[in-house]
This record gives sequence, C-alpha cells and structure tokens, in this order.
Amino acid sequence: MYTQDDKRCTLGDLVTHVQTGDCVAIGGGLSWREPMAALRELIRQDIKGLKLIGSAHGIDVDLLCGAGVVAVSAESYVGFEQDFGMAINYRRACEAGLVKVEDNCCYTLVQQLRAAISGLPFMPIRSVQGTDFMQLHPEFKTMTCPFTGEQLVLVPALKPDVAILHAHYADQHGNLHIEGPPVADILFAKASAKVIVTVEEIIPHEELAQKGVTIPYFYVTAISEAPYGAHPTSCYPFYAYDRKHTACYYQAAKQGADSFHKNYLHPFVYNCKDHDTYIEAIGGKARLARLEQWDASMEQWMKLYE
Amino acid sequence: MNDKAKIQTCTLGELMIYQIALSIEDGILAFHGFGSPLVQLALHLAKRNHAPRLILVAGATYGINPTPPFLTPTTNDFAMNRGAECHLDIEELFDLAASGRMGRMFLSGLQIDKWGNMNVTRMEKNGKLTLKLPGGGGGCNLSCDTDRITIWTAAHRAPPDDQGRRRYRLVERCDFVTSMGHRTTESIHRSRMSFRRQGPDCIITDLGIFDFNKDGHAQLRAVYPDTSVELVAENTEFDFPVAENLTTADLPDIEMIEFIRRMDPMKIHQRELRQADRQRDFQLSGA
Repeated sequence: MYTQDDKRCTLGDLVTHVQTGDCVAIGGGLSWREPMAALRELIRQDIKGLKLIGSAHGIDVDLLCGAGVVAVSAESYVGFEQDFGMAINYRRACEAGLVKVEDNCCYTLVQQLRAAISGLPFMPIRSVQGTDFMQLHPEFKTMTCPFTGEQLVLVPALKPDVAILHAHYADQHGNLHIEGPPVADILFAKASAKVIVTVEEIIPHEELAQKGVTIPYFYVTAISEAPYGAHPTSCYPFYAYDRKHTACYYQAAKQGADSFHKNYLHPFVYNCKDHDTYIEAIGGKARLARLEQWDASMEQWMKLYE
Repeated sequence: MNDKAKIQTCTLGELMIYQIALSIEDGILAFHGFGSPLVQLALHLAKRNHAPRLILVAGATYGINPTPPFLTPTTNDFAMNRGAECHLDIEELFDLAASGRMGRMFLSGLQIDKWGNMNVTRMEKNGKLTLKLPGGGGGCNLSCDTDRITIWTAAHRAPPDDQGRRRYRLVERCDFVTSMGHRTTESIHRSRMSFRRQGPDCIITDLGIFDFNKDGHAQLRAVYPDTSVELVAENTEFDFPVAENLTTADLPDIEMIEFIRRMDPMKIHQRELRQADRQRDFQLSGA
C-alpha cells in the first residue's frame, strides 16, 4: 500500500523503481497509450534483463528488444498489425536467442493476474488444452474438477514486480484517471508489487475526482508528469498516433540492428538526455500540433494515416 | 446514383469480406481481434445487412456496436470506437467467451492445418526456432471457448520458389499449435476436452472456401470465378475432400460494395492481400 501524500518525482527517479531482472507489465495496447517516455528513460538508465508480460503490444516491446534490455517475453502479441507488419527488433532478438520466448494468451494472463489480485495460488480455465502452450508453459497444470469431473487447466498467480503505465491525469496523491480503453492497466495496477506512472497532466484532486478515479492512489508507487509521454503511440483525446514517426522507426529497424542503433536509438533515445529533448528531436511543438488537431476534420484525421 | 451505375466488378478483398460476413449469424455476440481489417469490415457489413441484432464487439477497444467513420491502420484507435453504445473491458470480454456467450470469433494463422489448428507463434526446424511470429493474442483461449470460429487467410496461394518448393499456408501439420481446431495433432477430438463449444466451421481464403466434415476435416465447399479445385489442391499441402454440391461463391451486391468502399476509403483491408491479388476482380452478374 502506497500512502505518501505526494508521489510526484522526475522521470529519472520514476524508473529507478525498476530493477535489473524485474518482471514488468507495460500498460496500454498496440498503438494506444504506451508509456514510451518511461521506456526510453529505462533504456537510458540501462536497466535490463527484464521479463515482459502483457496482452497485445507493438512498438513498446519492440523498442526495448531493440535496445537489448529484455531477457524474456511472455507477451500475447508483439507486432505492428496490418500497418507495418512484424515487429522486427523483437523477432531479431527472439530468433537470435537473446530473448527467451514464453508467449502467453490474453485470458490466461487475465486469470493469472486475477489469482494474484485475489490472493489465490492459481485460477482454473477450460481453454489452452490441446494447444502447444501446455508444453511451452510446464507450470500450467491440469486437474479433474471435484464438482463436475471435467479436466481443467490451472494457471499460477502472476504478480509482476512493476507495472509501468501512462495515464491522462493524476493528482499528487497518485489517483489516476484514464480516458478510453484501459486495456489491462487496471489489472496490472492491482496485481503488481509496484506501479509507476507517467501522466499527461497532474491536476488538483477535486478536478480529478470529477473526471473519475480509474485506479485508486494506494496501488500507485510514484508518478511523473510527462506531456506527450505516449508518443509515438496515441493518447486520445490529446493526440493521435504518429504514423509518420513510426514509419521512420520501422525503416530504421528494417535495415538491421546497426541501423536501428544509429538511426533510431541514438537520435531519439541515447542522445536525448530527457523527455523535453526527445520532443525537440521528433520535431517539437509543430509536429505535435498536427497530432493534436486530429479532431479538426475527418480529412485531417485521415491525413495522419497516409 | 451515378457512381452506383459504374460499379460492375468487385475485388477479391470485397468478395472475402462478404463471405466472412455471411458466416455471421444475427443476434449473436461476435468479436473481431486486431490486425484484421477484412474481418472488421465483414462484421460491419453483416450488421448493416442480414444481422442487425448482432452484438458487435470491436477488437482492442472492446466498444460495442461502434460506427467508425473510416477504417484506421491500427485497431486501438478512437476512430474505431466512435459511436460505441457501451464498452467491455478485457476481463468481461474473455469471461463472456469462457461462459459460452460468445457466438463467433475470427482467427487466422501463418499455418492452418486440416483440422483447423493454427500457428501464429513460431516456425521451427528440427525443434529450433527459425521464425518468431507475432503471437496469437487471445486466440488460443477463444478457439476453445467461442461457439464458432471463422478461419480466414488472404495468403492461401503458395507459389513455388526457384527450386520448386512451396511454403504452404494450409499445411499438413503446424510447427506449433497456437489455437485449437477440431482435433489435436495426435488426432484427439476436441469433444474429449472440457470445451463446451463447437470449433471452426469455415476457412475463407483467397482461393476458395472450406467447411469441416463430420470428422472435423477441412472440405472444399466453394471456389471463386477465377479458381478451381485443381488450383486449390495445388496450393494446399494436405489432401481434402470436395463437397458434393461444390459451388462458385456468391459475390456481394452493389450496395454492399459501396458500403465497404465508403467505410474503408484508405483501402486498409488491401494490406492483407498480396500485391497481385489486389488486381483480381470479378464481374457482377447483371452489371
């Protein structure tokens, strides 16, 4: 339980809550509300050997794999959908044996997190039987149900060391407000030992209470204000997905690991001492203004995706 | 109205969207995942046509009955969620499936076997990982829990390489089983598991349409105006029975084609198709 009155800190201090080798749950999903600023800071501080768990992810996991800080991936999906296709850094790291592949599935993960949240050692599911996930995860067991006689699969509780989230608003106490799909953020927050969060804006409690508390403060370890902290993923209604920047990222990755270091990691992560410098590097306020004006007209919105 | 008079053909993408839509029953709860624009469009087409009472759950946002202004290149976008009547969260969506209340889900694979098992996890050679695929999201769970599964792929065609070898999409055996069809690779039927639902009932591809026979084996049910049983056989690694009443698949009507083109002005769904397949089109009867 995290009860301190004021949880605000710098982005640099925020990620020191992550230790080398930790099991990390990253919030958001696909091109929506990934805690990218925090992940870039994690890479700058060279916190590595991470085990990642999650549902459907993309550039967040791919970036960490490209920077060599991941040891194990237990994600359900890592890719760029029909937009760009396979996650190249992730693939490269898995195929080279640098990242151990322990893929999971969404509901299995949900049940494992629920077991942790409920203080139970496991949860039962019907699914997964008949698939190769049973071999990939020898920790999954089967049992005969004492009530119905059916064979069920038991999946063990999963308590991540840290959840890293990006939210729209927080108050200084750490109450969070998320707009739009929470994806698995609420489950991650309840199941994880620590929860660190970047937010678009820290606002007074009264204002936050009016918007509604998505995640109560006592789950939250520390918060840091990082406007545009999800870039290049979206944080609607503030800003849309930056497809052009993602295309530049993808091109750099596609041309090989060296290219990715030289053309992406150096200019946009290592050489940016902080989040403000990153914002300048991607084109500053002018670029962000385009993403913020997604709702000016339907044409403008579609133009972002050309 | 002038535009209407001009539409005389439909594309392969539009044919597949229509056929996927036909697999959707009215009044059920159906869910599309992510990275599947053909399916997204099919669900909206079905709801607008023969399945107005469909409970349409959008992948990634979990919005129910949204009315997206246009299809976006990624699935978790506010545009895909616009107009949603209400929302589920990740737990509720998968609980609905686990409790037997999800009528249909749509799954694909880089490998699809004759029982409808699929691999989107990893390709192997002699037990060693050779190609890491993106992973199946919730497909593994949903293949077991959902009542019916529509399988689709736009990459059935497996042209031979320089050495005459084909990399089949419809394979004898998957390197890894991510999602469950009718029988395990050891031929154990899914009725032996504690699943309460029925499994896949069709495979809609760029070459034709399969259903599944009593054994749970894929059986060719329809070809397209420009494909044949021989062409399908050539591009399929496993042998398959052909339905006695094999047909040529129906094409969508002009209103449906217009709807698809209106909803996907950026032609996002074509990204699922190979370059050459984007040129395939079919003459509409009476056009």
